[in-house]
Amino acid sequence: MKLEQLLAETRSALVQINEQDLSKITQAKDWQSKYRVLMQLGKKLPPVPEKMKQPELLVKGCESRAWLLHYHNKTDDKHYFVLDSEARIVKGLMAIMLCLVNGMSSAELAKFDLNHKFDQLNLKPYLSQSRGSGLTAMAEKIKACC
Amino acid sequence: MPVFDVQQFRQQFSFFQHNPGWVYLDNAATMHKPDAVVSAISQFYQQHNSNVHRGAHQLSQQATRLFEQARTTVCRYINAKSSEEVIFTSGATAALNQIAFGLMHTVLGAGDRVLLTQLEHHANIVPWQLHCQRYGVIIDVVPLTADNQLDMTAYQQLLERKPKVVSFSHISNVLGHIQPIDAMLALAKKAGAITVVDGAQGVVYKQPDMQQLDCDFYVFSGHKLYGPTGIGILYGKKDWLEKLTPIFAGGEMIEQVSFVNTTFNKLPFKLEAGTPNIAGALGLAAAIDWLQLYNTEQLIQHKLLLLKEFYNGLSVIKGIDILSLPVHNAGIVALNVSNEHPADVAELLNQQNIAVRSGQHCAMPLFSYLARPGAVRCSFAAYNSLDDVNRCLLALEQAVEILTA
Repeated sequence: MKLEQLLAETRSALVQINEQDLSKITQAKDWQSKYRVLMQLGKKLPPVPEKMKQPELLVKGCESRAWLLHYHNKTDDKHYFVLDSEARIVKGLMAIMLCLVNGMSSAELAKFDLNHKFDQLNLKPYLSQSRGSGLTAMAEKIKACC
Repeated sequence: MPVFDVQQFRQQFSFFQHNPGWVYLDNAATMHKPDAVVSAISQFYQQHNSNVHRGAHQLSQQATRLFEQARTTVCRYINAKSSEEVIFTSGATAALNQIAFGLMHTVLGAGDRVLLTQLEHHANIVPWQLHCQRYGVIIDVVPLTADNQLDMTAYQQLLERKPKVVSFSHISNVLGHIQPIDAMLALAKKAGAITVVDGAQGVVYKQPDMQQLDCDFYVFSGHKLYGPTGIGILYGKKDWLEKLTPIFAGGEMIEQVSFVNTTFNKLPFKLEAGTPNIAGALGLAAAIDWLQLYNTEQLIQHKLLLLKEFYNGLSVIKGIDILSLPVHNAGIVALNVSNEHPADVAELLNQQNIAVRSGQHCAMPLFSYLARPGAVRCSFAAYNSLDDVNRCLLALEQAVEILTA
């Protein structure tokens, strides 16, 4: 599988997540329902083939291993991402993050406030310290791309 | 002897009154402290605070007396021959670092061997590695059998290589397996090795008896024995402690200093540079005094009951992969939900106020050997109840249900 194909599949999965699942997360009444949706999100993203999971793509600071691939379209200055993680919850949470940032320009990415967005989605109470720091690491790695 | 009353035992930990919703099963990481320990620490700061071993004033003498009494308490508890053999350190990790550093050059040199086991956590691997590399010392590792127990045949074969030091844990921090340390020590001694026992998990299981074990070194941390963090013990036979080069220098450990040469103070002070953790030592002594109000055998039996209930419950949850054996187990169960990452399982338990540890538990070589990304570790203490066990089992069922939906 090539990066182009992964980018395309991720892009369409993220569109679907954005349209269908984000509202389900905000509306979920209890933690169980919220996590059930999170589990589903991860499954929607294409798995990154083992041989593409190069060490330099690892997001440091995650308890489980997570990889972030990045593509910058220089003609229209837009950033696109692909991610994978060993852990489902991380993958789900990172899918949400990518929904919010995929296709952003360098300037938009630099301004992006993940904490605020996660507050809006009412996800903060569901993040433990270690998971929170993993997401922060992910956000930093994304920002480092621009 | 009255029966063990877990509620009465538990009531002595204010932590549980402040955190009533939580099931705490992360005891192998750190234990809670009974109020007796917390009071001993605040009492020291409120009533007796002074530095030890140096003041001309009476307050310092009183603090010194309390500090040395704490050493005597530890000495009696572990049945060391004399309190000179009891060194206060910041914990088991510091003690192991002192031993590994201290034996290099004086005892260990190029071509000598150190024997460790596949079960060790990083504190009993990396200090050796760090110094062995510099001094040309070779490390051998005892492998495990198919059921994750130490391979005693391989152990005996490796002893034939005449290691100068054999260092192993009393109880595995990941699996909870109690190692056959009597047999291991006897074999190591027959092979003429210096013996080091990492008692970080062992000391709370059973009161260790230094004269009966007859190992050369035994180390443990206070915070895994109902005591405070930042205090631990390096026990060593006097002759071996004398041979250790101090890893830290300064303060009380010195007898004479000039810029040409320095001579060290006698034991135990030689290995206690700087101002010691006085309140920590008093807290540890208070933990030991408090623990001795209870019958060790009853505490062990209670933990075995919890373990039995937990294993019974696990056997009916689908897809649980248990790494720990139920026999010769000190109360630690490492497990996974098949095909799921331990971080996910632990997070779903966390959502249900069940505190466990997940990951590789500072024992990466063990997990590469087990070929697993890590495990969820449930570790029990005597203050855990059957209700805790059942709540954890229900939470695990819920986690499995969400993960496999």
